[in-house]
Amino acid sequence: MASVTESEGTGLGGATRRQIQRVRDFADDTEPAALVTVTVMAIALLAAFVGFLLVSSLTIVPFAVFLLAAGYGWLRHQGPTAQVLTLTMTVSTLLILGLIIVFIFIEAVPVIRYESATVFGVSVPGLRMFIETRWDAVSDPVRYSMVPMIHGTLLVTVIATAVAAPLGVAAALFLSEIAPATVRELVKPGVEILAGIPSIVYGFIGFTVLAPWASDQFDLTGQGTYLFVGVVVGLMALPTVVSVAEDALSSVPESMKSGSLAMGTTDWQTMTSITLPAAFSGVSAAVLLGVGRAIGETMAATVMLRGVPRLTDPLVNVFYGQETLTSLIARNYGEADGLQMDALFAAGVILFITVLVISIGSQYIEWRMRRTLGGEV
Amino acid sequence: MAGATQSQLVEQETSGTDAVAAAAVGVSAILFVLSILALFERITLTDPIAGLPTVTLLGGLLVVLGGTVMGFGVGSRLGYVETDPSTSAGLIASFAAAVPWFVVGGGVASETLGLGAAGGLVAGLLTGGLAFVATALPREDLGSTVPIGALPVLTGLVFLTGTIGPGWIWNLGWEQPASFTAEFVVPTVTLFNALFAGWAAAKAYGGFGARGRHMGAYTLVYLNALSIVAFLFILVAFVVVQGIPGVLTGVQVGAGVGPESTIFGLTFSWPISVPFVMNGVALLNDYQGVLPAIVGTFWLVVGAVLFAVPLGVGAAIFLTEYAERGRFTQIVEIATNGLWSTPSIVFGLFGFAFLVPRFGNQKSLLAGMLTLGFMLLPLVVITSREAMIAVPDEYRDASAALGVSRWQTIRSVVLPAALPGVVTGVILGVGRIAGETAPILLTMAGGTFVPGGQTVDVVGGFQFTATPPFVANPELLQATSALPYQLFALITAGVGLGQNVADPDGFRWATALVLLIVVLSFYAIGIGTRYYFRRQLRHE
Repeated sequence: MASVTESEGTGLGGATRRQIQRVRDFADDTEPAALVTVTVMAIALLAAFVGFLLVSSLTIVPFAVFLLAAGYGWLRHQGPTAQVLTLTMTVSTLLILGLIIVFIFIEAVPVIRYESATVFGVSVPGLRMFIETRWDAVSDPVRYSMVPMIHGTLLVTVIATAVAAPLGVAAALFLSEIAPATVRELVKPGVEILAGIPSIVYGFIGFTVLAPWASDQFDLTGQGTYLFVGVVVGLMALPTVVSVAEDALSSVPESMKSGSLAMGTTDWQTMTSITLPAAFSGVSAAVLLGVGRAIGETMAATVMLRGVPRLTDPLVNVFYGQETLTSLIARNYGEADGLQMDALFAAGVILFITVLVISIGSQYIEWRMRRTLGGEV
Repeated sequence: MAGATQSQLVEQETSGTDAVAAAAVGVSAILFVLSILALFERITLTDPIAGLPTVTLLGGLLVVLGGTVMGFGVGSRLGYVETDPSTSAGLIASFAAAVPWFVVGGGVASETLGLGAAGGLVAGLLTGGLAFVATALPREDLGSTVPIGALPVLTGLVFLTGTIGPGWIWNLGWEQPASFTAEFVVPTVTLFNALFAGWAAAKAYGGFGARGRHMGAYTLVYLNALSIVAFLFILVAFVVVQGIPGVLTGVQVGAGVGPESTIFGLTFSWPISVPFVMNGVALLNDYQGVLPAIVGTFWLVVGAVLFAVPLGVGAAIFLTEYAERGRFTQIVEIATNGLWSTPSIVFGLFGFAFLVPRFGNQKSLLAGMLTLGFMLLPLVVITSREAMIAVPDEYRDASAALGVSRWQTIRSVVLPAALPGVVTGVILGVGRIAGETAPILLTMAGGTFVPGGQTVDVVGGFQFTATPPFVANPELLQATSALPYQLFALITAGVGLGQNVADPDGFRWATALVLLIVVLSFYAIGIGTRYYFRRQLRHE
């Protein structure tokens, strides 16, 4: 299949030259009729996309042309048509990510401008969102500080990680190394089903059962604690940690484990001194992905929290749950307009960037682990 | 792990001393169960169990447990018990002992003796350090039992002397008031003690050393796995028990009791009537139901699948079969993984900013479909790619050797071989998005109570118009409800609920149950499909 080609040129220039060469090869290999069809298809699709972006009611015309061209190409020149079709599909996944970035950033711009703060005589846009703690969309002065929500998200994420990481890694060890085959066949779907329980159901149980119970146990005024939101979110992130960590553990070559066992170690010694260290980066990537899930968890937090954006007093008071970045959006989208809606988008931007960084980081860790282990096999 | 470890070479007879350690493990198991029951208020601290006050019983058991563990360790050190200890208990055990002792020392110094936070920190570090040294320095049989065994003894004495009784309360004195009550502290502390002592006892049962540590670790790991499975069962069972009455209100069985349906021009009445899933909400209904939400969820899923599956599978084909592995595929991979972990509420925001203005500036079913499609897409790409990479290259080479073109090879060799993986991945992904609330909140959601007359009819809604875009489907462009949103709306509606339904709580739980059934049936089908294909593979 596809192999790594050591090209003559390196860097962007070389890559572009190679792409041009490949397009030229494709054009040379393809019949002219097919080439025309494919070109019409591509141009029509591009036009339809532009039309859609511009909110034009004529979008349907180029889209119909695209469908016609694709249908014709499918009947007469299936090979090239399929190749170009699949290419456009690949590009569209990239496009969606790009569109998400562009659109949520654009919507957030006004509030970032509004929340400028002056430092040493220089006006820094958006800075006031992070140095003040006041969120008030109604009474003067109207402020959209993200600090209370970042604090909430941080507390929830820390608690969730404390729940999900040890339990998840232990469960992954169990599934990949310890459990007999029959037990594994039962537990593994169980973990998958756990991942499938909708977050609103968790939230509902948390709201009706856990929240009153917690208020009773800790003598709180009102309902909603970061502590139990964190626990619930941790349980929800658990399956992610388990499945990714299990993949990492089972990617450790069997020969390494057998070699250790042949030295007369117990299974547990092999796990702690061979399997876990070898899979360490993969396991930490799993925990990172779990953290990402916890940060982005919305519905359980929305239903279980108080919805009053302020810092808890004192800061470590996890028994009071105010608001997280996600629940802020889910709770306020309805009545928000103008700047407040833009502030919700700003919260979305913070979420998106954080999780994207975590995702890329964990991918880098996994990639490095695969390379190291691959080299040793 | 490797099959060779299945047979146990070292099989010792169970001696009387082993039985002591085993009994200690048993006592910790009992304490574990008792504390869980107390946490869930199945047993209360004020009511006696078997004639004994609960706190006294827990305290007594803790003292017995701690004493046994310590006694076993000391006995082993003095040579009364035959064990195989290492020279030190190791770093992990030392940290495990240091942390609870740090908490105990710090808590006592800062709160009971009133030395404040700084004094607490110093005292905590002192006791924690002491426990660390006491675990790390002596031989393993002493080190791994005495510091940890002393913990339940201390706790037990605190319970027995009534220092912490059923009425105990510790007000934290914070601006937003919070207190630790005995109802929470007693079970929680007992739980942790049981875990620590059970771990030490399991190590003792294994005779310390490598075998002992193996035993101790396995006990905890098995307990963890068991707890996760038990948690799942309790969760599902709880929803079922709470939801069943609501779902079954007004159920009738018999010829012609159900609503009328017309399929292929044939009109008939269902022989069973379940009002909760067959009705909407209306003033004159005997029983209210959530039919519009169920139908809405169905169309949402259909729309998302129609959008995401062709796109995702196509992208996977290009990435595995056409593209050269290089910078482009790497970027696409990073992008799909990034999309996969993007929070669902961000997808909602995106749908709100991008799709809603383009579909008539209002929330609509179509916008919801596409938003969920965006969410499903990365999952389809990832699972399809994995399935296609797993197809052996020999298949492709054999096909190419017959002079078959690349696309023909993909269509008739690669895709059929990868189909099981793709299908399973799609079904599991669908289960995931069917329960999503956050994205449709901003793009699609309709009212809390939807009348039965507003059930969407996508197929019947298509119309042709004279102006562009020539095809219109008002049904697709209207806000509609879906099960997860309906549940959210019911939760947040709060008090006003009572005017519309007789039993608001039952109605909520029933909605949760129906949602759970819908989502879990996708999972059941997905997991079942995987087993089916796997067995097919084994038969070949």
